[in-house]
Amino acid sequence: MLKNYIKTAWRNIMHNKFYAIINITGLTLGLVIGIFMLLWVQDEFSFDSFNKNAEKIYKVDIVAGTGISRQIFNNIIAPVATFAKNEIPEVKNAVRITSIGDAPFQYKDKVFFESNFAFTDPSYFSVFDFKLIRGNPKNPFPDINSLVITESTAKKYFGDENPIGKTVIMGQNEPCQVSGVIADYPPNSSFQYHVLLPMARLNYLSYIKNSRSYDGKTIVPSMDADWSNFGFETFLLLKHDVNLKALEKKLQAIHERNKPEDAPVPYLVQPLIKMHLFRADGTDGGYSTVRTLTIVAVMILIIACINYVNLSTARSLLRAKEVSMRKIIGAGKSQLFIQFIIETGVLFIAAAALSLILMFLLLPYFNNFSGKQIAFNLSDTDVWFCILVSFVGTLLASSIYPAMLLSSFEPLKALKGRISGSIGNVNFRRVLVVVQFATSIILIIGTLVISKQLSYIRNKDLGYDKEHVFAFTLRNDMQEHYDAVKNDLLKYPAIVGITHAGRDIVNNGGGATGDNDWDGKPANSNLWFNLIPADEQFIPFFKMDVIQGKNFTGAVADSSHFLINETAAKEMGITDPVGKRLRIQTVNGTIIGVVKDFNFATVHKKIEPIVFRYQLEHCWRVYIKASGKNIQKAIAAAQTQWKLYNNDIPFNYTFLDDSYTKLYSADQKQGDLFKLFSVVAIMISCLGLLGLTTYSAQVKTREIGIRKVLGASIGQIVNMLAKEFILLILLAIIIAIPIAWYSMNSWLRDFAYKINLTWVSFALSGFGVIVIALVTISFQSVKAAMANPVKSLRSE
Amino acid sequence: MIKITNLEKFYRTEEVETIALNKLSMEVNTGEFVAIMGPSGCGKSTLLNILGMLDDPDEGSYVFNGVEIAHFNERKRADLRKHNIGFVFQSFNLIDELTVFENVELPLIYTGVSSSERVKRVEEVLDKMQIMHRRNHYPQQLSGGQQQRVAIARAVVNKPKLILADEPTGNLDSSNGNDVMELLTDLNEQGTTIIMVTHSEHDARYSHRIIRLLDGQTVMENIMV
Repeated sequence: MLKNYIKTAWRNIMHNKFYAIINITGLTLGLVIGIFMLLWVQDEFSFDSFNKNAEKIYKVDIVAGTGISRQIFNNIIAPVATFAKNEIPEVKNAVRITSIGDAPFQYKDKVFFESNFAFTDPSYFSVFDFKLIRGNPKNPFPDINSLVITESTAKKYFGDENPIGKTVIMGQNEPCQVSGVIADYPPNSSFQYHVLLPMARLNYLSYIKNSRSYDGKTIVPSMDADWSNFGFETFLLLKHDVNLKALEKKLQAIHERNKPEDAPVPYLVQPLIKMHLFRADGTDGGYSTVRTLTIVAVMILIIACINYVNLSTARSLLRAKEVSMRKIIGAGKSQLFIQFIIETGVLFIAAAALSLILMFLLLPYFNNFSGKQIAFNLSDTDVWFCILVSFVGTLLASSIYPAMLLSSFEPLKALKGRISGSIGNVNFRRVLVVVQFATSIILIIGTLVISKQLSYIRNKDLGYDKEHVFAFTLRNDMQEHYDAVKNDLLKYPAIVGITHAGRDIVNNGGGATGDNDWDGKPANSNLWFNLIPADEQFIPFFKMDVIQGKNFTGAVADSSHFLINETAAKEMGITDPVGKRLRIQTVNGTIIGVVKDFNFATVHKKIEPIVFRYQLEHCWRVYIKASGKNIQKAIAAAQTQWKLYNNDIPFNYTFLDDSYTKLYSADQKQGDLFKLFSVVAIMISCLGLLGLTTYSAQVKTREIGIRKVLGASIGQIVNMLAKEFILLILLAIIIAIPIAWYSMNSWLRDFAYKINLTWVSFALSGFGVIVIALVTISFQSVKAAMANPVKSLRSE
Repeated sequence: MIKITNLEKFYRTEEVETIALNKLSMEVNTGEFVAIMGPSGCGKSTLLNILGMLDDPDEGSYVFNGVEIAHFNERKRADLRKHNIGFVFQSFNLIDELTVFENVELPLIYTGVSSSERVKRVEEVLDKMQIMHRRNHYPQQLSGGQQQRVAIARAVVNKPKLILADEPTGNLDSSNGNDVMELLTDLNEQGTTIIMVTHSEHDARYSHRIIRLLDGQTVMENIMV
């Protein structure tokens, strides 16, 4: 029986190659793109869940600031972890992680810049599933010069040698010994630190050794006594069934007890497994993108199913005779139902096999495109589960309705062709076509809006000039000799300007403080300022405007001078800020000028308050502006200077334009994805349309013949065939526009600075789809219209 | 074998109700060869479909082998049909995607006959119909006469008690038509009851009895000698 079904199915496919090709192509395209995206989504949802304790690990954040400066800090102060572990019974263990920029690590003649290095507590290896595969798990860091690295890092430095006990030189001259090796991180781990140093080392270097303090009077003896430095990602391993709200209050109480002036300072705990897609307060941190992509991926699969359903139900008329005969001969409804399911199955297996091959071939491109590291390992059950579910889901969605329809024919009517008019509910098919095209149109509108917003970002006047500017990070000696470096570099005609500052201007992360006061500060204000240590060249270098007062002059007095931005002035609530008193941490000084607002972070965020400080010792980032013609010479000059102070350490520089582009790489990726999705959606939809018009031309051969004999022109015939589809597409446009409007508006809501939605994108998308559809339809309808009527009439 | 009494069938469209069968009564005995004749629209195809359990009557009684089946549901009718009745059509109605062998095999598949038994029975009947040499051909590769022989082979492979033939020679030339009629006669002589709808007086002469219909009623019965 099964053999018979498969045989019939196969012959049916071979008899109708055109439709088979359309169906297989559509399904394959849909499956490849749909499954790739579902794999991507699955990976996003799986972040950090490989940790056995994932359900019990929570990240600690605090809420700081008022007004526009209100924000959630992912990094908190160091003592909270220690106090929580000691004082709060629900807390089983705690880990702190702090990563500070990059550093060179040298082994023999090999030097690598490690940007993924961090200081952490020994509990890192027990709270998370980052088990030591070499070294002593009970004591991963025997002393402050210990170092734990990942397997591939060990390979990179030491090849096949045993890494344990090997000495690497960190930074300029800090020898460290490898005391442990952990397995490489899974790609879906939020933690990707390849070199781990003991927190005790940071504690020693930053506190114990120097007795660090702000004002030279208060000695902070250790990091567990420093209630001001927000630099530590903190995770707690909790016991079962902990009341999280109560825990947050306890954490807050610890903080406020030790630093009353910060109060109120609300704490938030967030499950580790939600960290990847949500912000600490539960708001969206990527989740909506993942959700959108899930919906779109499923829609792509549905569009592919619709093709199959539409074509097979439309063409079921041609199967009516066969179905009737089978029934008359004795086939039961269920037998026929199974036959048609199997028929879809056979076609589907072809599409599935093709899509597996394609996915296998395209996987490297997909990984490159998506930044994922998905592999088709037989052992990776998640991946296969996702593929299997997509296959089965798509198969069921595309097979059940046609099978039900075909097996339900009344044999007598079908045999006599009496069901020709109403076969397979024409309206249902129309609805499906509308769904297909509405989806395609929404995706196209999405693509246009996203690319418009991206081009808006690219061309936005940020309030500073980053053209031909590159930057690099100063290290020890070189920072001390900045003036010499500057004077040397300015001798090169290729270099038109140089400045240094303590922040990355493109994406100014960290370095904010709420420890401040000014004349007239409202009692309830807890405003946080972003601090930018900078020299006197910084503002003219970037062509920023000082709209009130004046810039730093480089005089000694500047160390107690501040420049603020417009937003800061506004948020502080002072009308005439120049000359007013401002205290930042321990420095009591004067505001000497107001700088016009500029975007120093992504345009997703509103511009926040900024305070510029004249603190040359904190200026570690150099910005060099090259003349447009001699960029390479400028880089070479900077490199020569670098070599003077850094020997073999490689010279790493970045153009601000590149950093800026990178800042929006996630948005860019989203734009690219939408482009891909909409191209695929419209392709599949048009394949379906091609099939349907071909069919409709076939069915109407006789009608076309008669009309032509009666004098209809080719144009009139094409019009007759195309009209219905064009009307359906118009309907799809009408349905798509409000949905697209709504979704793109909510997408744009994530940008503080954005384009306005205009009707142009919408009109353009609609028009484009109609043109594409018309071209598709005209292939077949022109052919049908040009056919010799005598032939078509005889064929009946 | 068949006894129908006061059978009625109406076709309704929105405005018109057409009476296809009007209180028709008739009997067919086991082993008979009956021809049904009449002008187009007289109800003969409707009658054949009801006899073949493809359609149900609106009123009246239909007793098949002693069982009243007028109000059987589709499933029960289908079950009875596949074990008892074979169909032969004017336009053969072979399935294009199946070979001669597979077309004939189909009824056996649906009645759940084992694979080896199927091969045996199909070969037997193909042999009898003298189309064994065409067993692997597709219907389109056969002449009309050959196609109709395949159709008859398919109708008889399940050894039905009754064969319903709807103008079996209508699409054939006279020589092929005669061959088909001979085949049906042979089957009848071997015990199969045959009811045939035809326009052809020539074909009707092969039967034992001609029932003539007009406007859904029997107008005349001729017993052939």
